[in-house]
Amino acid sequence: MSLGNYGRARLRSGLTTAGVAIGTALVVLLIALATGAEDNVRRSIFSIGDLRLVTVQPFQPGANGLSAVPRTITDDTVAKLKSVAHVDGVYRQFDAPLGMVVEGGDDATIRPQGIEPGAPVDRGDLLAGRHIEVGDRAVAVIPGNIARLVAPNAGAAVGRSVTMRVGGAVKLGSTRIGGSGTPRDYAVKIVGVFDEQASQTSFRIPLDDALLAGAENRGLTPDAIRETTGYSGLAVEADDSTNVADIVKAVQELGFSSFSLKQVVEQIDQGFGVFKGILAGIGGVALLVAAIGIANTMVMSVLERTREIGIMKAVGASPRDIRALFLVEAAYVGVFGGILGLALGLAGGQLIDRIIRQLNPRTNPAAIFVVGPDLALGALALALAVALLAGFLPARRAMRMSALSALRYE
Amino acid sequence: MNAPLAVEALDLERTYASGRTTVAALAGVTLGIRRGEFVAVMGPSGSGKSTLLNVVAGLERPTGGTVRVDGEDLAKLDEVALARHRSKRVGMVFQAFNLLPRFSVVDNVALPLAFSGVPAAERVRRARAILDRLGMSARADHRSNELSGGELQRAAVARALIGDPAILLADEPTGNLDSVNGAALIALFEELHAQGQTVLLVTHDALIASHAQRTISMRDGRVVDG
Repeated sequence: MSLGNYGRARLRSGLTTAGVAIGTALVVLLIALATGAEDNVRRSIFSIGDLRLVTVQPFQPGANGLSAVPRTITDDTVAKLKSVAHVDGVYRQFDAPLGMVVEGGDDATIRPQGIEPGAPVDRGDLLAGRHIEVGDRAVAVIPGNIARLVAPNAGAAVGRSVTMRVGGAVKLGSTRIGGSGTPRDYAVKIVGVFDEQASQTSFRIPLDDALLAGAENRGLTPDAIRETTGYSGLAVEADDSTNVADIVKAVQELGFSSFSLKQVVEQIDQGFGVFKGILAGIGGVALLVAAIGIANTMVMSVLERTREIGIMKAVGASPRDIRALFLVEAAYVGVFGGILGLALGLAGGQLIDRIIRQLNPRTNPAAIFVVGPDLALGALALALAVALLAGFLPARRAMRMSALSALRYE
Repeated sequence: MNAPLAVEALDLERTYASGRTTVAALAGVTLGIRRGEFVAVMGPSGSGKSTLLNVVAGLERPTGGTVRVDGEDLAKLDEVALARHRSKRVGMVFQAFNLLPRFSVVDNVALPLAFSGVPAAERVRRARAILDRLGMSARADHRSNELSGGELQRAAVARALIGDPAILLADEPTGNLDSVNGAALIALFEELHAQGQTVLLVTHDALIASHAQRTISMRDGRVVDG
């Protein structure tokens, strides 16, 4: 019956539906844009590292650049952190002074990075070879760019022995710097090669090798280095990313500065929440205008059908029946408008995506507009809710109409 | 006679506020209509006869007194129950036909059942049956605005009867019909009455009223001769 009326006042219903469709499309487009942007940022963050990680830095909490106050990370710190709840593992790291791979020439500048087996930094796919393992000494997992300086390709570099020079003058970019201490050479065997996109200078070696190189560079023993200089950093792994905040707190209570991607992501999420809210608000204004359109159409429809309402009431329609009649009519506008708007929003998003790509082929390949199932369903529900709310007052007016005066209405 | 009367009014009043004064459309009407009776209510315009019919039909609420239809005290019914009263207990035929113009005849006739929860297929089946009974099958699938006045009113009678009402109410049903169609409609009422249908008809036409078993005359909101 309601559908019949929707069809009868075709132009008016159509225009009202178009209003809802445009409002819905705008909401979809704007939120999809925000979601797409958020996805892109998140994706680039996830590619950096694991959300379960907390990095302990050798500074006091609140460290930021120049004002950082140093603080020594010792084995005592490691022991304390290992006993903190939800800590799955603590990995020590010691960075020896800058140096070079002699066979690679001037451009083979490296930062020997002493790590423990299974350290988060030494996980994931390698271009060739294997990771640092328990009991390893005098081995290295090296970046691809260095590997190609000593062998034709990454695979050929594995198994080759090279000379790691620690300390002394090195070339950083196009400038040469003096470097620290007396240069000293160590023979290491390359066991693995990683993609240099992660780092072009990190030369992963066993922790003890790095400590020894660092100590000899300064004329000390490794134990003295452990106690006075301390480790360069710790990678603390939580059992779950939801417990990262607790661990960050424990690290700060121990007096160290920390960094975790999880906290960065949380801040980004918060920022995007506000961003989405603002965009949804702008789309919401369009829907509000559509709602006024629906209300207007419905008021007209109620007026126009006053006599019909009278007849229906006279033959037994209850007030609720009449209200339902008009609410269903409004719901049709909402559902049709919502579906149309969703389709418009999806198509519009893809079109804009394609145009941007053609104008600038180097754009990030990820989608700019992202419409998830929750956004799609949410947009439909929103359109329906707006339509029902807009239809409510006119429907109530129809419902309260006296049957007799409605019958006399001309 | 213990069976409830089809209509029983006791000191029925219906007043309207008109500015500072009140106008009494019904000023204490007491009457009874037995089941199976064909009663005509006569009176000049303003006598309250239409108001009486509307109160019995549940389209207006009395402001005083009581009215029972088929034993039910209408004053006790809320809006929803009153709507049910209109769809089930009474059937109303109007002077102006009051069919929905863009619906087919069969849908118009089936309309009251839509509000009492009868499934669509059953509604149509019953509507066709009653149209058949009134000799209107040929017009069942026409839109109501394609019908002549006589046919419209026949369709309206079919709609009034579809809920198998205790009483058929008609307010000047021949008012918009020519004399031939008017006579045919009254013949239909007589036929329905002969089949046991209680009929209450309001008219100002003595000739029409003469077909009823009994005539109640009203003037100034009161029964003057019943």
